[in-house]
Amino acid sequence: MNAVALENLSKTYAGGKQAVKHISLTLKPGEVFGFLGPNGAGKTTTVKLLNGMLTPSEGNCRVLDMDPAQEPEKVHALSGVLTEHAQMYDGLTGMQNLTFYAAVFGIPAGEGKERARELLRRLELTEATDQKLSAYSTGMRQRLSLARALIHRPRVLFLDEPTSGLDPESAQNVNRLIRELAQKEGVTIFLCTHQLRYAQEICTRYGLIEEGCLLAEGTLEELRGRIPAGTRLLIRAARMPEGLPLQHTGETQYETAISQDEEIPVLVRRIVAGGGDIYQVSVKKPSLEDIYFTLTAKRKEAAK
Amino acid sequence: MKNAMLAIIKKDFRGVTSNKNQFSAMLIVPLVLTILLPSVFVFLIHFVPEDPDIQTLVELLPPSAREGNLELTVVGLILNFILPAFFLMIPIMTASIMAASSFVGEKERHTLETLLYCPLSVKQIFRAKVLASFLLSMMVSLISFCAMLFVLELELFFLMGSLLLPGLNWLAVLLLVSPAISLIAVTLIVRKSAKAQTMEESQQSAVFLVIPVLLLVAGQFTGILLLNIWILLVLGLICALLAWLLLRKCMARFTYEMLLT
Repeated sequence: MNAVALENLSKTYAGGKQAVKHISLTLKPGEVFGFLGPNGAGKTTTVKLLNGMLTPSEGNCRVLDMDPAQEPEKVHALSGVLTEHAQMYDGLTGMQNLTFYAAVFGIPAGEGKERARELLRRLELTEATDQKLSAYSTGMRQRLSLARALIHRPRVLFLDEPTSGLDPESAQNVNRLIRELAQKEGVTIFLCTHQLRYAQEICTRYGLIEEGCLLAEGTLEELRGRIPAGTRLLIRAARMPEGLPLQHTGETQYETAISQDEEIPVLVRRIVAGGGDIYQVSVKKPSLEDIYFTLTAKRKEAAK
Repeated sequence: MKNAMLAIIKKDFRGVTSNKNQFSAMLIVPLVLTILLPSVFVFLIHFVPEDPDIQTLVELLPPSAREGNLELTVVGLILNFILPAFFLMIPIMTASIMAASSFVGEKERHTLETLLYCPLSVKQIFRAKVLASFLLSMMVSLISFCAMLFVLELELFFLMGSLLLPGLNWLAVLLLVSPAISLIAVTLIVRKSAKAQTMEESQQSAVFLVIPVLLLVAGQFTGILLLNIWILLVLGLICALLAWLLLRKCMARFTYEMLLT
């Protein structure tokens, strides 16, 4: 069974804006899926569709084999959602907020308090347990929201910009927690972000979205295969022999595109045989950012 | 899911009582209408019986009622015929403040979306919130009535040496008209809340409910309409029916999408 499945999913708002356009993809249980794109690309709309907050204009989606448009309550019982617009109560303390949501999720009072305490500890909020939310910083609020999304131990977690407003240390802590949830507890993570470098640190598979369209999806290696001249070989050498397929980029810098690692020793041998002195050889694989920009440029060109 | 709904009701209660502005706004009207106003009437009747307004009231009385302790009779007239009309403002106002805070307030503070991600249907959330507003409104009404009675009896005892029992009118007001009117106010606010962006905007929708109540008060003072138990029962039943119809219609049209966009 897929944890999350989207099939030709589209959403057009009442004003006529088409926010999501014919997206199809599936997520396996325990996967950390990065749904990546700039602000306004349709990420949040997709999360809302997957939680039944919006009804699809076309196609359908399923979470743990349930249709969120038909059975939103059942989906909510098994999924946790963290979005920028899902805030908590300023007049309540961190603990009161968490125990309130625990009660709404049907967790008995004692157990709710226990879970809240444990989550506050894991997210380094123990000292702020009895502080009112109005006294929390942006980062603390974000971490408390994550605790709230986890209070009922969801099987699927939808995270919309989970590290926004977090300092580097807290972000690292949140990343560790997300990894643990996926690896140890088998929670499926659907992570939306526009921070591609951050996504590359934590996700196991990616979906790249722009203006509501899914540009590509797959693992990093699969995505690298989608762009031409993806991997580049960088060589620092002197007395480079003539006639080699290398681009001169600096005084002693040379560069070329390779499609597989086997090409490297062949090229190195040719340089040495031709009398070249090699100081350094390195391989530069395209980052998620490189892939994203290449694919968006390609899409724009195709549109012209 | 009853516990979940109970948690929402408790949280809504705490939300409005912990907000100083809302809580004081909710207390002022009952204090004026059930403590200050009746006291002014009692003191006027006792100390300034020749006041033209008091005389107008006395003239409204049937000749048989003018015999005996006139002061007590006039106070009885005010207690059983004038004050119930004023009293109806309390459930309208309390329900409006609570419903606006509970629905539009949550929308304004971006907490409604979080609540919608919980395993409750929109209808269940809606029901819990309507119930919270309704219960608070009823509690405030009941406490106001008890406070009014306590203060009034105390004043009557010390000034006129006698006590006065409230009439059957109050039973109809407390058990039928007031709950029905409070439900109408809640429903009107909730209906508006889907579109309204601020609490004030949604509260305006219940303002026009005050107009018939004011007309009722004016009618009572001029003697055009003297509320009796039968009029109140009919009025209460009409309001209850209207509340039920509005609530049903309102509940059917709510969706997640409508609340979030």
